[in-house]
Amino acid sequence: MNIDIKHISKLSRLEIEEDKIEKFSNDMQEIVKMVENLPEFDSVEEVLDKNYTMKLREDVAVTDKFKREELLANAPFVESGCIVVPKTVE
Amino acid sequence: MRISDKTASELSKMLRNKECSSVEICQDVFDKISENEDDIKAYVTLNKENAFETAKKADEGFGNGEDMPVLAGIPMSVKDNISTKGLRTTCSSKMLENYVPPFDATVVKNIEKNIVPVIGKTNMDEFAMGSSTETSYFQITKNPRNTECVPGGSSGGAAASVASKEAIVAIGSDTGGSIRQPAAFCGVVGLKPTYGSVSRYGLVAFASSLDQIGPIARSVEDTAILQDVISSYDTMDATSCDMPYGNLYRNLSENIKGLKIGIPSEYFGEGIDDEIKTNVMNTIKILEKNGAEIVDISLPSTKYAINTYYILASAEASSNLSRFDGVRYGFRAPEYKDLNDMYVKTRSQGFGDEVKRRIMLGTFVLSSGFYDAYYKKAKKTQQLIISEFNDAFKKCDIIATPTTPTTAFKIGANINDPIKMYYNDVCTVPVNIAGLPAVSMPCAYSSDKLPISIQFIGKHFDEQTILNAAYSLEKIIGNLC
Repeated sequence: MNIDIKHISKLSRLEIEEDKIEKFSNDMQEIVKMVENLPEFDSVEEVLDKNYTMKLREDVAVTDKFKREELLANAPFVESGCIVVPKTVE
Repeated sequence: MRISDKTASELSKMLRNKECSSVEICQDVFDKISENEDDIKAYVTLNKENAFETAKKADEGFGNGEDMPVLAGIPMSVKDNISTKGLRTTCSSKMLENYVPPFDATVVKNIEKNIVPVIGKTNMDEFAMGSSTETSYFQITKNPRNTECVPGGSSGGAAASVASKEAIVAIGSDTGGSIRQPAAFCGVVGLKPTYGSVSRYGLVAFASSLDQIGPIARSVEDTAILQDVISSYDTMDATSCDMPYGNLYRNLSENIKGLKIGIPSEYFGEGIDDEIKTNVMNTIKILEKNGAEIVDISLPSTKYAINTYYILASAEASSNLSRFDGVRYGFRAPEYKDLNDMYVKTRSQGFGDEVKRRIMLGTFVLSSGFYDAYYKKAKKTQQLIISEFNDAFKKCDIIATPTTPTTAFKIGANINDPIKMYYNDVCTVPVNIAGLPAVSMPCAYSSDKLPISIQFIGKHFDEQTILNAAYSLEKIIGNLC
């Protein structure tokens, strides 16, 4: 299996530095070769854990309150109480 | 013997008998940190002021003769992927170098309720991806047993903090062995609880269907005490199971008469060091002499476990880590052309190589045309592995295996060979794939004086039986931590 590093890194929103591409490609080929070895299955049965199904909580409003400043404190770029991002609409 | 050399259960008694105070314990732990930390580098961030505040609160409680929790006043460390309100939580990544959570993880709330001083946040492999703590953006943690060796990973800082007495107990997280493998390398006890028994709310997600927070300590008793504190039903985690928790310590028993211990030949084959095989088998024979019954079992799909794990864990990681885009929190690249370029630059500069490899592997196995051959097949293999464990548990109560294929390796030995690094987890990943509980404890020392550990795997939510086996073994061979 030959994997297209350029395509996969684009899908991952990552760029690999030129001088690292060769090592990265080789490592990724090796890793994919490693994980390829899986058993063959006849059944088309879907996988579900029937023993421990998830429990959904009641549909009630969560009362935990955060202050706006608290939530914005970690944002890298804030102006007038809003998160700033590059222009996306012309 | 210093105060920080003692276990939590010993200190808990001393606090009740007024033989020491929580402030004194914290002081000795911080003294240890000033003496050793330049060498060990277990911590990313210290929390001195708050730790002493909590210690004072605990001392007040003891002073007033209040009914105090078992772990009250005993200093602990917290892995740096567990959210602590107001205290930097970095996942040892440049991406979260300056991230300060506005909320506490549920386990941290549980710790606070028990008046446990938090000493600091421990170093780890970046986003918990690694088996040596060498992928941390900040520093390389050293193994306190031999500082030329890695402490294991990803909870390497947590295990090293406990082994070096820079904390009495620790919480880490385990996705494929990240508690048990470093505990084994550092010669301490580590428990990976049943999936669903400890809330993951506030644990920065790596592979959500496999991640589980758990305790690291210097005795089986301490491990049980801490697990009692952190396990709880939590509506904030949809995978949290509503069960009775909190009685492991009280119900610890060293009676192993008639306990059926399954030995899977697949865990004693090629790739496992002979010295480890011999010592683990000898330990099993000791348990047999003390009343346990040994049963040969087979888990043939173990050979697929590493493959299955890296497909499932990376697939989930690629999805979970897509949130790091430089918009709402974390690192943002200083220069970019447009929004997409901001994502790409932020992620390329913010993540280290191992994280990039896993995101790319995950993206690949989920990508159009490859999903059925990789992800879907791995999910089916997961079912196969689970059903083999279920069959095995019809014949035995617990399963005993080595925790790791080798003892702690030298710093730098495996870092350039991802596949070799991945095989460190060969004995631990099947447990995560099946959602089972497992405890690792040191059972011998190698010829070069490094710890060798045994792993006991239990049935779902049967932490008690594996901890009892470990407790019994600790009584027979002595505490090797």
